[in-house]
Amino acid sequence: MTKDEKKPFEQTLGEWKRFIYNPGNGQILGRTAESWGLILLFYLAFYGFLAALFTFTMWVMLQTLSDDIPKYRDQISSPGLTIVPKPHGALEFSINSSKTSTYENYVSAITNFLRAYERERQEFHTHCRNGTLFEQDDLSPKRACRFPLEMLETCSGLQDTSYGYPEGNPCIFVKMNRIIGLRPQGTPRIACAVKEGKEVPLAVFPQNGSIDLKYYPYYGKKLHVDYLQPLVALQVMLHAHNEEVLIECKIEGSPNLRNQDDRDKFLGRVAFKISMAH
Amino acid sequence: MGKKKSAVYSVEVNGIKDIETVDEGDGKEKYRGLKNHSGHKKDHQKEELKKELDLDDHKLNTTELEDKYGTNIIRGLTSTRAAEILAQDGPNALSPPKETSEIIKFLKQMVGGFSILLWAGAVLCWIAYGIQFAQDNSVSMDNVYLGVVLALVVIFTGIFAYYQEAKSTNIIASFSKMIPRQALVIRDGEKKEIPAEQLVVGDIVEIKGGDQIPADIRILASHGCKVDNSSLTGESEPQSRSCDFTHENPLETKNIGFYSTTCLEGTATGMVINTGNRTIIGRIASLASGVGNEKTPIAIEIEHFVHIVAGVAVSIGVIFFIIAVSMKYPVLESVIFLIGIIVANVPEGLLAAVTVSLSLTAKRMAKKNCLVKNLEAVETLGSTSIICSDKTGTLTQNRMTVAHLWFDNQVYQADTSEDQKAQIFDQSSATWASLSKIVTLCNRAEFSPGQENVPIMKKIVVGDASETALLKFSEVIMGDVMERRNRNRKVAEIPFNSTNKFQLSIHETDDPNDKRFLLVMKGAPERILEKCSTIMINGQEQPLDESTAEAFQTAYMELGGLGERVLGFCHLYLPEDEFPDTYPFDAETMNFPTSGLCFVGLLSLIDPPRSTVPDAVTKCRSAGIKVIMVTGDHPITAKAIAKSVGIISANSETVEEMANRLNIPVEQVNKREAKAAVVSGMELKEMSTEQLDEILINHTEIVFARTSPQQKLIIVEGCQRQDAVVAVTGDGVNDSPALKKADIGIAMGIAGSDAAKMQQTWSLLDDNFASIVTGVEEGRLIFDNLKKTIAFTLTKNIAELCPFLIFIIAGIPLPIGTVTILFVDLGTDVIPSIALAYEKAETDIMNRKPRHKKRDRLVNQQLALYSYLHIGILQSLGAFLAYFTVYAEQGFKPAQLIFLRSEWEDDSINDLEDSYGQEWTRYQRKNLEWTGYTAFFVAIMVQQIADLIIRKTRRNSIFQQGLFRNKVIWVGIASQIIIALILSYGFGSITVLSFTTLRVQYWFVAVPYAIVIWVYDEFRKLFIRRYPGSWWDKNMYY
Repeated sequence: MTKDEKKPFEQTLGEWKRFIYNPGNGQILGRTAESWGLILLFYLAFYGFLAALFTFTMWVMLQTLSDDIPKYRDQISSPGLTIVPKPHGALEFSINSSKTSTYENYVSAITNFLRAYERERQEFHTHCRNGTLFEQDDLSPKRACRFPLEMLETCSGLQDTSYGYPEGNPCIFVKMNRIIGLRPQGTPRIACAVKEGKEVPLAVFPQNGSIDLKYYPYYGKKLHVDYLQPLVALQVMLHAHNEEVLIECKIEGSPNLRNQDDRDKFLGRVAFKISMAH
Repeated sequence: MGKKKSAVYSVEVNGIKDIETVDEGDGKEKYRGLKNHSGHKKDHQKEELKKELDLDDHKLNTTELEDKYGTNIIRGLTSTRAAEILAQDGPNALSPPKETSEIIKFLKQMVGGFSILLWAGAVLCWIAYGIQFAQDNSVSMDNVYLGVVLALVVIFTGIFAYYQEAKSTNIIASFSKMIPRQALVIRDGEKKEIPAEQLVVGDIVEIKGGDQIPADIRILASHGCKVDNSSLTGESEPQSRSCDFTHENPLETKNIGFYSTTCLEGTATGMVINTGNRTIIGRIASLASGVGNEKTPIAIEIEHFVHIVAGVAVSIGVIFFIIAVSMKYPVLESVIFLIGIIVANVPEGLLAAVTVSLSLTAKRMAKKNCLVKNLEAVETLGSTSIICSDKTGTLTQNRMTVAHLWFDNQVYQADTSEDQKAQIFDQSSATWASLSKIVTLCNRAEFSPGQENVPIMKKIVVGDASETALLKFSEVIMGDVMERRNRNRKVAEIPFNSTNKFQLSIHETDDPNDKRFLLVMKGAPERILEKCSTIMINGQEQPLDESTAEAFQTAYMELGGLGERVLGFCHLYLPEDEFPDTYPFDAETMNFPTSGLCFVGLLSLIDPPRSTVPDAVTKCRSAGIKVIMVTGDHPITAKAIAKSVGIISANSETVEEMANRLNIPVEQVNKREAKAAVVSGMELKEMSTEQLDEILINHTEIVFARTSPQQKLIIVEGCQRQDAVVAVTGDGVNDSPALKKADIGIAMGIAGSDAAKMQQTWSLLDDNFASIVTGVEEGRLIFDNLKKTIAFTLTKNIAELCPFLIFIIAGIPLPIGTVTILFVDLGTDVIPSIALAYEKAETDIMNRKPRHKKRDRLVNQQLALYSYLHIGILQSLGAFLAYFTVYAEQGFKPAQLIFLRSEWEDDSINDLEDSYGQEWTRYQRKNLEWTGYTAFFVAIMVQQIADLIIRKTRRNSIFQQGLFRNKVIWVGIASQIIIALILSYGFGSITVLSFTTLRVQYWFVAVPYAIVIWVYDEFRKLFIRRYPGSWWDKNMYY
């Protein structure tokens, strides 16, 4: 009886039409033009105020920041390891030494990456003392230590601009993530080993895969403009094999650089696969 | 009918009413209302009704009856035959109206308006997961969890609500499961006591005063049997039953006794002609199931709210879907966004909060004797705009009480309060001594034995209402009536009958020196006066002259005009010489004088109003609630009670009264000027729907008298046509259609019959009208508080949704994750939103009009806009400030975050450079993202504290309301903080929860915004108070 029954369609339509524009009282969408004007004006003012408020608070917050170093490094106490070149997607190299197309991207990526390390670019960099941290808190501007590519020997690209890929002995560069103020303890080095697959020979440059302390600490993009990250090159001698190997590199020899985190697979270590065909 | 006595209404003791039954001559008419309504429902109900009227057992003589039912009047049925019939017809009990099975009830809890929203959300989540999984099977399980949580919320809330309702249903059920009724039946030639349920058609039963009639019976023999048919017809006067066929209509004839009516006095033997559902009352009860059940107002409001939320969700979803697609997001990903946005709009915690708030109120009401059957009905009473109340028992104490006395030419007032402690009228007069003697002696009512320690007013009495009143009256004043009666031994008695209209008894006196017999008589005043030649004034007999007769007449008119039942009392000391000790008094031949008596006084009786009622009615009136009295009683009584409780206020007049005063015919009175109206059932019967509507609209104070309970349904529907939310009180089975039709059916707990209780949404355990007012107050409060709860809960929805929108549009790392949102909705916000249910009323909620069903919504445009677009946006800004602070301080400045998303979320990039040249592994970024979640979460929590405080009031300043009056709010705030602390510092290391241990200062980033929220809302309220009716008030008051 008083239950609402389905209204006929025309009525519904009529109601909607009247809602959109009601000629009776000149209401558009339930408000008169004046009322719309007022409400829009109000929201304009209100949101103007909110925008100002937000801008102001953000400005205050940004004022407290330094341009040079971040306030906190809560999440990055220990660096991650990454490799160059980086295959697309998962860390799996699939190389056919007789097919240039399977590795030319890698070669050019390496070339690009090493461009920063070219001798000419390092001309004004400092020769730092090996084996000690290069503290320069009071210096300004901060100076970068030289990283001579020669240290990487066969992977330096000085003799072999294709980094061993056509021969089936690809070079892969391991680097440690930059973290401002990180001071490695002990004698950090990158140790690589075959985890799965045939025990193929691995050559590591520089000797021992060591990372010299003189490259630390890092002072940040703005202060430490020309900073060069130390690199470790790994050459995987796969020229005699059609093999798939899983290689893991870890930071070792430094008590404050962690390399075993259950959740973070890249914290102080990196694992990648190379499948080589000839 | 009814007009026979227009000025004075009196009913004699034991009397057959001199006013004939309401619908004399056409019992069918009583069912007119019902028939009209059942007409277009189910045909078989019509059939049922016809069958009922086809009943012709009352016309048959005993032999025909014996033949028809295969029984013997003397020996009854044989046990074997009875067992056969029992097996065939089933037990003699009303089957409860289709009890919904527990499973259905349980499932119903889970498909209500709100639950549907959550279910839809859950399903969408799973669909989204399905799509994501099809694309990438390593996708996070967040959507599955979210879906599961949504489903669990519905299920748990459903279980809770089901449990709550089952609890109150049980309490109600415990009332109906009273002692199994026994019936005295003759079977195999022997009298046996068997449970009434086992009665079958053809059984011969014996009933006596005090019994409930166990089935529909045809009376075969009767000795002064009187029944109370009020539960069937609403007529409160006792009706005599005899074996004579007196009326064509089975409802009117005297030789049928109806199931569930009570035998007041006398004894009768009858043959069972209908049992169980086939009884008249059983058929009426079954009719109720044909009356449509109305949705509770709160259910409608929640539906409306769900529409709003769903509308907002879908609109935002679609808008951003379009944006996402035009930003070249893949379509499937855009669909995921769409679903995500819709789901983010679902207020997960609200269902639980609303359910708990309602049940808290239900609990509070139960303490005040209102039981709610359905949680949603808690609020209904608050929206009530019309209460159709019974008179007897609800407005009145449901017991006759001496209200006035008239002797020595003077009217005295008696105490009619519930305990009657102080009878303060002058008792020194000798006339009073005589009068009290008559009252004590000329009375057949007796206290049931074994009640020595029971207060007098509560003692159970065998006897009719008037005699009971007189008995208790004299017991209170003089003490030990039974002892006094023993000392004045009764030697002869003429019980009341309708021709005499008096009751007489002759007693020895307790004065050992006085050997005279005392003849005492009471009855209809004019009859008593006729029999008197003298009148006692100040203990002296004086001849009854013109002036005294006139005084009597005035007093009689005065008391009758108050709607009171007036009784006259007289006595005569029989001369000792004519009537010696041994005189054989014979009541049959009346060998003693019955005239020339001495008139002593008048007593008038009324069922007095409950002392709390006038106050309650006043409250209703100031709360804008129309109280309509619907009673089976005579208009004059009804009007008198209505006036004394304020249903008709002191200065308002009916049309008739106006006509009288202005000395013009009734027709010329402007009906609109008369506030009050007294409508009798007779008039109502003749009225068209329009006329009824007109009465309901034009008069604010309405009394329906002499109505049959079936007409209640018509009245209820009339009120509902005015868009009113109607509450109806009722107790009889016959009320159940009206109770069911009403928006809120209030069954009176103690007196209410079982079937009525099945139809109601409410039970008043103390039958007290004042309890209804409590219900109204609580209902209004919970409506206000639900508004606050909803506003509180909706606000943060925006703060939870905005991050996702910005994430889509600006490609920033996700500010807050799904699981984290759940911890706000189902963690920190739950207790605070319930705490708002404890908020005290802002202003006197009983001083405003009831809300308009269609205009005053629970969730209106203002509430939605203010929550979403004002406080919600403010909250989002505060939370974003926290988010940007965390990222900037950890290395990612705001500018760098824009469109960082694809790199940020790329698992293969483990040396992502931040604004300072540092490089981040994916997991380190994830940790930062979780820190962002936690900071965002804490920011929302902090601002929700401010939100909670501002939601305490909608109009008043927080300082007017008092920050500390509602302690539960503080429990809520403490819970917010403690839960957040536990999540951050306790579970900070559990990755699936995606919380991290937050630096202390990040807890305070949003505090300035919390303060702004509070200040802004104080200004809003200030302007609302300052400029009522202004543009601000209209747009900002929710």
